[in-house]
Amino acid sequence: MSLGYYVKSFTLWEFVKAHALTLKYFFKPKATINYPYEKNPISPRFRGEHALRRYPNGEERCIACKLCEAICPAQAITIEAQPRDDGSRRTTRYDIDMTKCIYCGFCQEACPVDAIVEGPNFEFSTETREELIYDKAKLLENGDKWERAIAANLAADAPYR
Amino acid sequence: MTAFFQNLGLPFEGAWLLSTIIGILVIALPLMLAVAMIIYADRKIWAAMALRRGPNVVGPFGLLQSFADGAKVFLQETIIPSAANRTLFLIAPIITFTVALMAWAVIPFQVGVVLANINVGLLYILAISSLGVYGVVLSGWASNSKYPFYSAIRASAQMISYEVSIGFILITVVLWAGSFNISAIVESQKGYYGFLNGNGFNPLLFPMAIMFLISAMAETARAPFDLTEAESELVAGYQTEYSSMAFALFWLGEYANVILMCALNAILFWGGYLPPIDWAPLYYVPGIIWLFAKIFFFFFVFSWVKATVPRYRYDQLMRLGWKIFLPTSLLFVFLVSGFLMFTRYGGAQ
Amino acid sequence: MPKVKVDGVELEVPAGATVLQACELAGKEIPRFCYHERLSIAGNCRMCLVEVKPGPPKPQASCALPAAENQEIFTQTEMVKKAREGVMEFLLINHPLDCPICDQGGECDLQDQSVAYGKGSSRFDENKRAVTEKYMGPIVKTVMTRCIQCTRCVRFAEEVAGVPEIGAIYRGENMQITTYLEHAAKSELSGNVVDLCPVGALTSKPYAFEARPWELKKTHAIDVMDAVGTNIRLDSRGRQVLRAVPRINDDVNEEWASDKTRHNVDGLVRKRLDKPYVRKDGKLVPATWNEAFATIAAVKHGGSVAALAGDLLDCETMFAGKVLVERLGGSLLEGRQTGLAYDVSSLSAVNFNTTLNGLETADVILLVGTNLRWEAPLVNTRIRKAIKKGAKVFALGPQVDLTYKVEWLGNDASLLGRLPEAVVEAFGKAARPAMIVGGGVLAKDGAHGDTLALVETLGLVKEGWNGYNVLHFAAARMGGLMLGYAAQGGIKAVAAAKPKLLFSLGADEVDYSAFQDSFKVYVGHHGDKGAHAADVILPGASYAEKAGTYVNLEGRVQRGEKAVFAPGDAREDWSILRALSEVLGATLPFDSFEQLRAEMARAVPALGVEGLADYGWSVPSLPTGASGEFGFPIKDFYLTNAICRASPTMQQCSAELIHGETYAEAAE
Repeated sequence: MSLGYYVKSFTLWEFVKAHALTLKYFFKPKATINYPYEKNPISPRFRGEHALRRYPNGEERCIACKLCEAICPAQAITIEAQPRDDGSRRTTRYDIDMTKCIYCGFCQEACPVDAIVEGPNFEFSTETREELIYDKAKLLENGDKWERAIAANLAADAPYR
Repeated sequence: MTAFFQNLGLPFEGAWLLSTIIGILVIALPLMLAVAMIIYADRKIWAAMALRRGPNVVGPFGLLQSFADGAKVFLQETIIPSAANRTLFLIAPIITFTVALMAWAVIPFQVGVVLANINVGLLYILAISSLGVYGVVLSGWASNSKYPFYSAIRASAQMISYEVSIGFILITVVLWAGSFNISAIVESQKGYYGFLNGNGFNPLLFPMAIMFLISAMAETARAPFDLTEAESELVAGYQTEYSSMAFALFWLGEYANVILMCALNAILFWGGYLPPIDWAPLYYVPGIIWLFAKIFFFFFVFSWVKATVPRYRYDQLMRLGWKIFLPTSLLFVFLVSGFLMFTRYGGAQ
Repeated sequence: MPKVKVDGVELEVPAGATVLQACELAGKEIPRFCYHERLSIAGNCRMCLVEVKPGPPKPQASCALPAAENQEIFTQTEMVKKAREGVMEFLLINHPLDCPICDQGGECDLQDQSVAYGKGSSRFDENKRAVTEKYMGPIVKTVMTRCIQCTRCVRFAEEVAGVPEIGAIYRGENMQITTYLEHAAKSELSGNVVDLCPVGALTSKPYAFEARPWELKKTHAIDVMDAVGTNIRLDSRGRQVLRAVPRINDDVNEEWASDKTRHNVDGLVRKRLDKPYVRKDGKLVPATWNEAFATIAAVKHGGSVAALAGDLLDCETMFAGKVLVERLGGSLLEGRQTGLAYDVSSLSAVNFNTTLNGLETADVILLVGTNLRWEAPLVNTRIRKAIKKGAKVFALGPQVDLTYKVEWLGNDASLLGRLPEAVVEAFGKAARPAMIVGGGVLAKDGAHGDTLALVETLGLVKEGWNGYNVLHFAAARMGGLMLGYAAQGGIKAVAAAKPKLLFSLGADEVDYSAFQDSFKVYVGHHGDKGAHAADVILPGASYAEKAGTYVNLEGRVQRGEKAVFAPGDAREDWSILRALSEVLGATLPFDSFEQLRAEMARAVPALGVEGLADYGWSVPSLPTGASGEFGFPIKDFYLTNAICRASPTMQQCSAELIHGETYAEAAE
């Protein structure tokens, strides 16, 4: 219990120091970005919204092997398959419940044909839950929309796989 | 103003009533606007100290954020819990809001610009601000819900505790000024050392100024004394069950109280509408600007503290109020009155 | 009993066992593709290589090497590991990497074994071979590029199914499995090659791309398509049964199942009754359960109540129906829908007494008016096994191709009274003679008596051997007979009694025009004949949707489990009868399925124990002197009941394989 202690105590020295610190931060540049106008760069491995890709000739890649459905830890994927008219194996239903999905990326790891991928898009909030249950048409549409970005990301990540 | 309406041919009573109502509106409406802006400022300051941006989307620099929030709150449904006491539940926010506005009646904005220049202005403020606790207690009780109830109990104990020390602190000021009239108190602060305006420059009153600042935070339940809405323990405190306009009234009342406390800080210790330095050219700047600048400075301090100091524990709060502020302020009542006895009133005869 | 050492563990193996079997007995897993317990040994996949001492210093195919005294077998050595890896690499040279689109994926021997015994990589850089698809009928889908030439299908078709229509052409890398001239495999057992195929070359066509094995819930059930009581596993996902595959039960179906058993399941989701219907102004309109019950309760029957049991029923439903009829004051019960009225005073006289397993050991067999291929394909495979062991087969009735050599005696029922001398002589010499009387024969006046008279003439019953067999073809028949679903005089007598209230428990083969005046309540699962004639329809559960006890043609009591829930408002049959009984004021004395079973076991103790029921052996004295031609009761193998008739696969099979319609789905 030195004299200094009492001085510090009565002059609220610790408080003054703390306030000096926060005041210093007050004038510092912001650490956060101005989100809707600025965005952080994202990794090619970023796992965002799902998409079903197509081959350049327009043929859908998915062959209904159901490996993504099997690997999905949240059981968010539901697939039903039937032979298409030409006899090839195709999905008749490919649903992802985005409210269940945990974005682990196992589905794209499991996919033997790079059909299901998690694209770079993370801005897909909706007003209703129903809209977050994606069907095959929505996923293919996503694939068409994000194909360039997805292909670029896959190419960028390819050397490390 | 009464005279102005009398000249228009109104009888004195009518003219007085009309001018008073206009006076109330002239104070209350800008006050509401000020509350809106001060909420925005609060968020901005707090965000800046946390290296964040704060509201920046609604309007230029996010200036209209508070109005957007207000519109949202206004359009929401008022939910009244089925187990609540309906009347009290709705009266509570009204009490809080009204009381917060009433105290402004005696605040002088400039020389002679005061709605009610009563002799016991400070007593009036003490009385009114003590009433504020009813809003909180009633809301907590009427909600018929455990968290609001706990919160109301905390709030009433906290406010009462700090009102005691605030009372003694005010006594030192009143002793020094020799008046309860707030305008008189302001005028009494002129010319410390010949060039400074403000009780805060008085070495005997400076500690009181600091204590009053801290007590004001506790009295308005601002951080670090916001135990009434300590969300990790009490959800949103006594406002938990409130929604829509009832909720908004609490908010408005709370911030109106905060501004009032900032104003009192400025008026009681830092010269109110007087310029800080007793130098003739500064008197050309209207007193209301000086007052607002001081109010804003103290509000900045409030936000600054909020951004810096973590929340007190309840026992720490009580200890500070009863074991430190109460004896210290009591001591200073003795010191100030003793000093005045020996100097101004000619010693012990 | 040679003594061998497997990985240092000494054990005795049965004489004639192979090295592979010896290893299995020692608990060692030997990978294999071509070897199959129920087929002959081919030894062409080379996957089962092990090191054997004494012998040449090279790995040897264990499946084709007899275990010999003092052999030392090594299954874990470096040489064996290397040999397996080498063989696997060879097998995978031409096997496409299309597991993701292959239906065998997940239950593929090649997949599993390449993971367990393979090298993980291939040194083969050249192009893979491609093989054109072959056409193997509406059941089997072929992707011959995946074929590894194990020839299991070839051996199955030749040895078990008896239709040597599959074979290999060309040699070396160009070897292909094909059906000769690309003929459809017309066997009713062709679906078994799908299970046999260790890779995805032969897969199930109706099940193509439907599901993955890991998604399926597997339920043990009993098949009701014929009276054999094939043990099956129903694979279901959600509320739909996607496929039926046989379970191994050496006493009943060994490892096989007929195509009808396998592929009727798509009929379970079509033409289903999923809500109650009530006939109003001559039209059936949907109703609630309460409305339907109220309509039935309004019938003034005065105790004139009868119940008809369908061919697919479980014993529990029949028992509940029986108790309900009795409580309402009736006594008319009948399950033989097509008008059969044979004597049931001795159940042993209408039973398959030799048992399915015993039939394999018969040395002379007389078939009387039965087309085994259609009435019980799995009994036919047993006769093939008996023939392989040297049995001789005579037959009475219209000539059909039974896939083995049969001496046809003619199509004349009067022959039963005057069998040719050669036949009697052959039976006289036989140690284990057997006679199989087709279910259709019993329709002929006097034929039942004639065949029973032959028991004495041909010496069918000996010490420890009973060669008298009646072959039923309805899964519910033996159970129904045990529960008393056999009115004196058959269904004609029931119709003649003009019951006021008639419960039709899934009876879809009945001529309902004989029941014009009855109020007909149909409890069943498909909108078939019974439902069309009904006044009230109460939607019930099919065999896949309820647990049940079934008795097969040899009197074997077996239990199946519930795989899925019945669709819509449909309920399990016994619970419908239980609920209805309360409305009719004749509450059934059980509240749960377990209570019902216990009650049934009390009434008929044999139904409470799984396994062969003992009917004793007694010959009732019946009129003899049948004459005229025999007719086969089954006109179309693939469309024998309501479920089959609702099944697109069965319809297609019928059109393609029986009526010869061609589909544009030939080999590509």
